[in-house]
Amino acid sequence: MNKIQGAVHYVANNRLQFEKGPSPFDPQKSAADQVGHKYKKQEQPSLEEILPKLETPAIKQRLDDLLSRYPEPQGALLEVLWLIQEALGWVPREAIRYAAGICECSPVHAFSVATFYTMYKHAPTGRFLLQFCRNICCEQKGASNIIAYTEKSLGIQTGETTPDGLFTIVQVECLGACANAPVMLVNDDYATDVQDSKLSMLPGTSLNEERVDKILNWCRERAKNLKEEPTRDALGGPILGHKGHPGAPGATAKVQSKNYAPPSPVLGVQAALIDGGVQVSWKCAPDFTHLLLEKKEGSIWKQVAEPPVRTTEIIDPSGEKGSVYRMIATSGERVAKPSLEVEAK
Amino acid sequence: MSTETVKVCTANFGKGASDISVYKQLGGYSCVSSKLFDLSQFEIIDIVQRSGLRGRGGAGFPTGLKWSFVPRNTDKPVYIVVNADEGEPGTFKDHFLMKEDPHRLIEGLTIAAWALGSRTAYIYVRGEFLSCIETLNKAISEAYQAGMLGENIGGTGFSFDIFVHRGAGAYICGEETALINSLEGKKGQPRLKPPFPAVSGAWNSPTCVNNVETLMAIPWILENGPEAYAALGTLQAGGTKVFCISGDVKKPGVYEAPLGVPLMELLNSPQYAGGIEGKLKGVIPGGSSCPILTAEECEKATMDYESMASLKTMFGSGAVMVINETRDMVPLLKSLGNFYAHESCGQCTPCRDGAGYVQRILQSIHKGEGHEGDLELILSLSEQFDGTTICPLAPSLGMASTAFIQKYRSEFESYIQKNKDKKASRISSTFRPGAFW
Repeated sequence: MNKIQGAVHYVANNRLQFEKGPSPFDPQKSAADQVGHKYKKQEQPSLEEILPKLETPAIKQRLDDLLSRYPEPQGALLEVLWLIQEALGWVPREAIRYAAGICECSPVHAFSVATFYTMYKHAPTGRFLLQFCRNICCEQKGASNIIAYTEKSLGIQTGETTPDGLFTIVQVECLGACANAPVMLVNDDYATDVQDSKLSMLPGTSLNEERVDKILNWCRERAKNLKEEPTRDALGGPILGHKGHPGAPGATAKVQSKNYAPPSPVLGVQAALIDGGVQVSWKCAPDFTHLLLEKKEGSIWKQVAEPPVRTTEIIDPSGEKGSVYRMIATSGERVAKPSLEVEAK
Repeated sequence: MSTETVKVCTANFGKGASDISVYKQLGGYSCVSSKLFDLSQFEIIDIVQRSGLRGRGGAGFPTGLKWSFVPRNTDKPVYIVVNADEGEPGTFKDHFLMKEDPHRLIEGLTIAAWALGSRTAYIYVRGEFLSCIETLNKAISEAYQAGMLGENIGGTGFSFDIFVHRGAGAYICGEETALINSLEGKKGQPRLKPPFPAVSGAWNSPTCVNNVETLMAIPWILENGPEAYAALGTLQAGGTKVFCISGDVKKPGVYEAPLGVPLMELLNSPQYAGGIEGKLKGVIPGGSSCPILTAEECEKATMDYESMASLKTMFGSGAVMVINETRDMVPLLKSLGNFYAHESCGQCTPCRDGAGYVQRILQSIHKGEGHEGDLELILSLSEQFDGTTICPLAPSLGMASTAFIQKYRSEFESYIQKNKDKKASRISSTFRPGAFW
């Protein structure tokens, strides 16, 4: 083992740890590493400590809504981790295990996902997380100077939190607002200026030292006036009116699995009176394997014909004015809902 | 060039169209009617094919052709996934498109769903765009209330749902198979192809991944006809493109222009970027992955797929980054090296390790500790990226760094000259185990 080669240890808990020799290079840590678990030991709360914050009725309701959107519960894993981060401010180990339970995946899978994405925080941060873009457009416009200036004026390095717990500085890759380069995110808001006592990113404004000061002062002012940062829905608010994915897990999952996203019903059904009966026409979808034309007699639907799959019209000689028709399509084993009922006119 | 640009995607900018009543007043949702429901799936796909619309996310694959690959008659649902994981440095069009005009995206998605026989779509938005997600969620809720989404749309029996999925910060999720993995709640690592997503994508079902801008062009195409759209662009590729112009120009921002617009017009015309600040040194024409163009090449470049290919670069996502004479190329390429090394998903060795090598070599050059032969080393690494990885992330770094070094070699060499020990051969300390982790 020498200074140049890193040393590999098996530690007592059988995890691989790499001890790094002095690097001749600046370790440009990624955002996840900067506030993460890799370089500092992080105290982890126990499950009992975090459960009261996670098992609230509001979160339960949102979790149900999330799970209803995906055909498999694991699809909601990223979103569940977001909810946890919203509730706790970061994602402790036990919370990741909790998310795995909700999404029915293994804890190690949830952990691999939580550490793959850079926006999940593995350590608590200051009240205002300042994420500075350091990518090519911002670098070109002087991002490194802006970051150095902010570090100096707050007296901390990238990845550190100010002693008053207000600010954490992180450097991230492209934030997708290159017209305003250099830019920063303050928590979840783009900020290049303060307008009408709100953070703003108007066209043509980019960060400079004066604006950084303005933004920092805005944050300090806010900290004085508001005791706690109001929580903001990490998933951007509810989607009202949806009934979920037709194959989503839940109480009726087994019933639905056979009818997993049924084919679309026959569309555009029309019935027209012509000489010699009623002409019924419809739109044919390519996934139909079988078609059925039914006529209402009293309150009972009676099969009239089985039109060939590729056709789009058929004449019912027994039809007369006022006859009511509907069509039922089949695709493989799945039967679509009946089409709308049409009356021959 | 026509003086008045037809606005396909950005027509509603600045008009408050994120509200459904305003959007309807501006003629929105006119396609979610018999105009759409009287056409069969194949007719819609034919219209999109005739319009010459190509994917606007970067690869430029013909959209109609992509849709025609989605198989029918399987016993699986068809998913549409909208790629709004806009991470390519220099690109910010989808950010503004979704924020200003979310309903147009919903309308385009509905048309796509009709054409593909899909009933569920996911919009995968990158995690940083929380305000976009808020706008989208509000717009989708409004559309549900107005009967534009949900069950039995327009009384046709056609049902369609849209969900928004928030990503969590990984550039690689912009690659379509990585995006699908991320949607399934996995690490965003690209999958081997085949099978292509059209056959086996999200949850092993047929999946169509489209960019935001692509889908937002479709209502206009249906409204005005595919020929009108094709007439806007060049012979090979129809329509307009939303360009994101950043860097040393007077008015950086999002501008829509017909395909085939000369690059210099885009930079100098007052209706677009309004002129270059300082003397032009180079332009990256389509996002950080595309090889840079020198000032001379910019003069003859037009913004379309063919002209860019003839200049050995790519049209990409339409992110035009303008660099003037005062900028130093070495830190710029260094920041790209950092970016790709950080965003490598870690699946393929050439990318996981190679991008790290390139990053560390560039860092040492920038610090004035470069060695002779370093540039050759980067060029040779770049060559080895090609075709050895699952996805084009490492080859993108290869293309970008090769172009930077070939076209601005003297700047890199002057940095290497600063090292007193430059003649010494580069010792393996750069590549020591653990240096990358």
